[in-house]
Amino acid sequence: MRVDQQFDEAQMLHPMTLVQRFLLSLPAFVLLLIPIFRSADSASVVPVVAVIVYGVLALPLIALRYYRFRYRITRKEIVIQSGVLNRQNRSIPIERIQNIEIEQSLLPRIFGTAKVKIETAGSSKTEGVLEFVGIETAHEIREIVRTYQQSREAAATPVNSVASQDTGLTDQPIAPAPARQQDATANTPVFSLPLSRVLMVGVMRFSLLYIAIAFSLIEQMLPNPDELEVWLRRGWLKPLTEYGTDSPWQLTAVIIFSAVLLSWLSGILVSFNRYYGFKLWLESDKMHKRHGLLTLSQGTIPLRRVQAMILRANMLMRRFKWITLEVQTMGLEATGRGHQVVAPLARLPVAMGLANHIGPVTLPEHFTPVSRLTIRRTIVRFTVALLVTVLPTAYFWQPALWGLLALPAIPFYAFQHYKNHGYALQEDTLYVRRGVFRHFIWMIPVSKFQVLYGESSIFQRRLGLETVYIDTAGAGGLALPEIIDVPTEEATALIEACYNRFQQAFATP
Amino acid sequence: MRSLEPAIKTIWTIKFASLLGSMFLAALLYEVYVYFSRASFALPPGVLTGAFLIVGVAITFSVPRLSYKYWRFDLRQEELYLERGILNRVRTIVPLRRIQHLDVSQNILEREFNLSKLIVHTAGSRSSDVVLPGLRFEEAEQLRDDVKRYILEDAV
Repeated sequence: MRVDQQFDEAQMLHPMTLVQRFLLSLPAFVLLLIPIFRSADSASVVPVVAVIVYGVLALPLIALRYYRFRYRITRKEIVIQSGVLNRQNRSIPIERIQNIEIEQSLLPRIFGTAKVKIETAGSSKTEGVLEFVGIETAHEIREIVRTYQQSREAAATPVNSVASQDTGLTDQPIAPAPARQQDATANTPVFSLPLSRVLMVGVMRFSLLYIAIAFSLIEQMLPNPDELEVWLRRGWLKPLTEYGTDSPWQLTAVIIFSAVLLSWLSGILVSFNRYYGFKLWLESDKMHKRHGLLTLSQGTIPLRRVQAMILRANMLMRRFKWITLEVQTMGLEATGRGHQVVAPLARLPVAMGLANHIGPVTLPEHFTPVSRLTIRRTIVRFTVALLVTVLPTAYFWQPALWGLLALPAIPFYAFQHYKNHGYALQEDTLYVRRGVFRHFIWMIPVSKFQVLYGESSIFQRRLGLETVYIDTAGAGGLALPEIIDVPTEEATALIEACYNRFQQAFATP
Repeated sequence: MRSLEPAIKTIWTIKFASLLGSMFLAALLYEVYVYFSRASFALPPGVLTGAFLIVGVAITFSVPRLSYKYWRFDLRQEELYLERGILNRVRTIVPLRRIQHLDVSQNILEREFNLSKLIVHTAGSRSSDVVLPGLRFEEAEQLRDDVKRYILEDAV
């Protein structure tokens, strides 16, 4: 193991890095020189100065960056020291490393070097970059890290097999679902959408996006003035124009109605295309799904990568007691991250049954409400926001004042927000409920918590309120499971309780 | 619970002073230009510059102090605890087992004061890196080593 020891000492990059970096910086240099080439007379002082500055600043910087850069690989970690003005010393624990990528584009290939990218879970950016090392060194590095990882895993297994992979991303499924073994053998889907239900998905989805598209479509379809003139002269449109001048309100209503109808129909088509033949299978530790009419999409969700489960429903779905189940996943590739629909449209018990394949969850009967003061705060916030946007706009464009018509709706919105906002910490799952037009319920297993936050703005502090947020990997989108306006003591207790459960989940029995 | 190194106030003050100072200079130059070109400007001469000066000085002297006053942190057995914020007060619990990798970083200004930042990266999505500024360099390295020891030994 002579090679290993070599990496215990601080290493520098391949000397050819200097040449490569210089070559890579040349395009910028040429760009600076272009004005000189263009005007043959020596009047252009600026580019000359720029070139001198470039020589004085950039070239030494390339050299300094090279000489400052050190990396070191031990049994436990990779340490990377970098930066000239901004010095940085990064430690990446060996067992957190998910992937080591060796990249060799044209220039490095000429010089026999490569770029080594060290990736851990979490952010989409690469955590450690060695640019450039010799190609043999690159392979050695990858080999060594693998050996270290294996030896650490081997050392860890007899003691505790779970603890060695407790990053929350790579760890075991939330809990072994009892029914899983049977499902694995049977090749029948655990969830599928018959044709009528696929149509129903579209019927229920009522997105503002489609309404916007519909309106723009209507605008597109309006005939251009020349055609319109011809039409008018022929008298085809006469009934319509008469109707319009007689009752403009009715005409507006008709236009809006047709836009809504159009958007509704297009929504049905889009959903039909997307969810046609939706089927979901379960296989030991994975979920497979397949759906789509024109483009067939197939997806696999490793259950252990699921970070949270989300139930959501818009107003129409709530009216007819339908619900959508999504999971929030965290993959190594960017495509595997974010939210994935597990059941586009299902009854609540079915959705919960599916969720239970992923982890043990039971919807709490009682959600602890947030403080009633949240109604007042929402009203104040929305009113101020509305006035601040409408009034200055109205100064330039009078009709903006119509926006003030939204004012009476604010208290109603605020009350609905309060009514549907709540949380429950039950067993090993945190449940957060939120939403006005679209209702969400997040189900977050405590073992998937990442960072716990308690936040209070200056206004919240005056009322003794706090916002609690528990971060998970891969969360995002417009709605987050923030618990807004919890009384301070309650918030402190909640954070503490959540953290205790989190600790217990990892306590060795 | 510990506070940051008091020297961080100086660093923040210098940062605010240079930022707001350059904005003040821009406002001043603009006003001089307007004055001499006799272009019309909604405000009487000196008001904009004066406002920049007053607000700038107020911010430069108050924000670093207040920010320092509310910054608290504690490395406990299994978590890093942070408290900070003037208007929006935030407390954060970072479980050590969630830390993916660690940085100790130092910019040129911090190096002058022998201060540095400890940055812990998690896989969380809101802000995957939690920054703890204003530590003596040796202390930052010590903290990093403590956290590392936890990740490397305790967790296995």
